Amino acid sequence: MKRNVIRQIVGGLSLTSAMFVFQACYGTPQDFGLDLLIEGQVKSKTSGLPIKGIKVSVADNMQYTWTNEEGEFSFYTEMLEELTLRFQDVDSIKNGLHVDKDTVLTDLSKDIYLDIVLEEK
Amino acid sequence: MLSSLIKYSFRKFKVSETKRHELNYLFWECTTRCNLNCLHCGSDCSKNSVNKDMPAEDFFEAIDTIKRIPQNFTVVFTGGEPLLRKDLELCGKELRRRGFKWSMVSNGHLYDKERHISLLNAGIGALTISLDGLKESHNWLRNNEKSFDKVMNAVQLAASSNRLNFDIVTCVNQRNINELEQIKKLLISKNVKAWRLFTIIPIGRAVHNPELLLTDNQLVQLMDFIAACRKSKEIDIKFSCEGYVGKYEPLVRDSFFFCRAGINIGSILIDGSISACPNIARSFSQGNIYKDNFYSVWDNKFQPFRNRDWTRIGQCKTCKDFKDCQGNGLHNWHGEKNNVLVCHKEKIETATYREHR
Repeated sequence: MKRNVIRQIVGGLSLTSAMFVFQACYGTPQDFGLDLLIEGQVKSKTSGLPIKGIKVSVADNMQYTWTNEEGEFSFYTEMLEELTLRFQDVDSIKNGLHVDKDTVLTDLSKDIYLDIVLEEK
Repeated sequence: MLSSLIKYSFRKFKVSETKRHELNYLFWECTTRCNLNCLHCGSDCSKNSVNKDMPAEDFFEAIDTIKRIPQNFTVVFTGGEPLLRKDLELCGKELRRRGFKWSMVSNGHLYDKERHISLLNAGIGALTISLDGLKESHNWLRNNEKSFDKVMNAVQLAASSNRLNFDIVTCVNQRNINELEQIKKLLISKNVKAWRLFTIIPIGRAVHNPELLLTDNQLVQLMDFIAACRKSKEIDIKFSCEGYVGKYEPLVRDSFFFCRAGINIGSILIDGSISACPNIARSFSQGNIYKDNFYSVWDNKFQPFRNRDWTRIGQCKTCKDFKDCQGNGLHNWHGEKNNVLVCHKEKIETATYREHR
C-alpha cells in the first residue's frame, strides 16, 4: 500500500498523463473493460423445452448471437444505462414457430443471466 | 528547473517500475501464418508458416501460472495475422472467463462485419489496425491491391463501436511521409479517435529496402508533424514508444520515452519462447513454456530487460542522454548487440545540425 502511494507520487511528479496506462509500441491500446456478459437460456412456454436457433440481438446495435442446442446464449456487450434485447424466431418452422420478444435491461452494472420464455405461435 | 525535476522524477519512476516489474501486458504470438506479404514485415511471416499455431490449451496452461493478476492485465493477440485462427473467439472467451482482458493487432484484411460482431461477442476490448498510407502507398507496402479497401471497411466497423478502444497505426516511410496530413483528414472523417505513428527499422524484410527507412530530415519532419497535430488536438496522435527522440521527448507522446519490454510487457512466442515484445530479437528469450514455469521466468529472470547497463556500448557508451534513453527501444538490439541499430536522437540531431550549418 505504502509502496503504491510512493509510486503514484513519483509518477505524478513527472507530470505525464500516461504513466500507468501505457501501450506497447507494437501493441493495442488498453482495454478499459466497458462491457458486461449477458447469458441465459430460451425455452418454449408450451413444452418447457429449450429452443435452438433463436436470434438474440441488441437493439440499436449490430451485435447478435444465436441460441444453441440447449437454448443457451452468451455474449459480451457494451455497458450502457439501458439496453433492449430482442429474441426472434427467424428460422421459420425449423425449431417450431415462436412469438418474438423484447426484454429491456436496466441494471447493467454487473453480468446478467436471463431465463426467457417464448410463446408458440 | 521544473523540467529537470520532471526528468528526475521520471527516472525515479522508471527505477521503481522496473523493481516492481508488474506484468500488465502479455503478447501472445498465436500464429505466424499471414494472409499478406508486407514489404516491411519484421517477422518474415508467410501464408505457409513453418510454425504450427500454438494450441490454445498450451497458452492457457502457461498463463495459469500467473500468481497475482494485476488489475490492468491484458493479453494481446498478435501474429502473423490473428484473424486466421478460427478459434480466436473461443480463446478470447476463455480469457474473459479467467478474468483477463484481451485485445488484438490486425492487418484488417479479414475484419468484416461478421467477424467484428463475433469478436465483440467474445469480449474483445481493444483493437489496433494498420493503415500505411493513402490507397496507392498503403497497397504498395502491404503488397496487395485490395488491402486499402478492406482496411477502410475494418476501420469503419471498429470506429462504430463505443465498446472498442481502437487505434490506427501507420508505419511511416518514404512513400507516405508526405501524405500524413491527408491520412489524418481521412481518419478524422472516419471517426477514428487515436493514431499512432511508427518508423520502420532495418530488420526482417525491411533490411533490403531502403525506401522503407526515413532519412534524418524525414524523421524530423515526422516529429514536427506529430508535435503540431498534438497541439491542434483534432485527433489523439502520438509517436510510438519505439525510441528516444531527444528534444522532441515531451512533445510527441503522452509520456516520456520508457521501453517497458520485460518490465511490464511480456510475450509467449509461437514456439513457446518467453520474451517481451515480439519484434525484439529472439536471442533475448528468457525461457520456454514447454519446459519452464511461465510466471517464475517472468518474476525471476529478464535481467537484460531490467538492468540495461549492458547497452552502454557502441555509440551509447558516451551518450549524455543515456539515463533517459537507456539504449533506445530493445528491438533496436540485434546480432552481436555491439551497438544500437537505430538511434533516433542521433538522426534528429544530425538533421538539425545540417539545417543550422
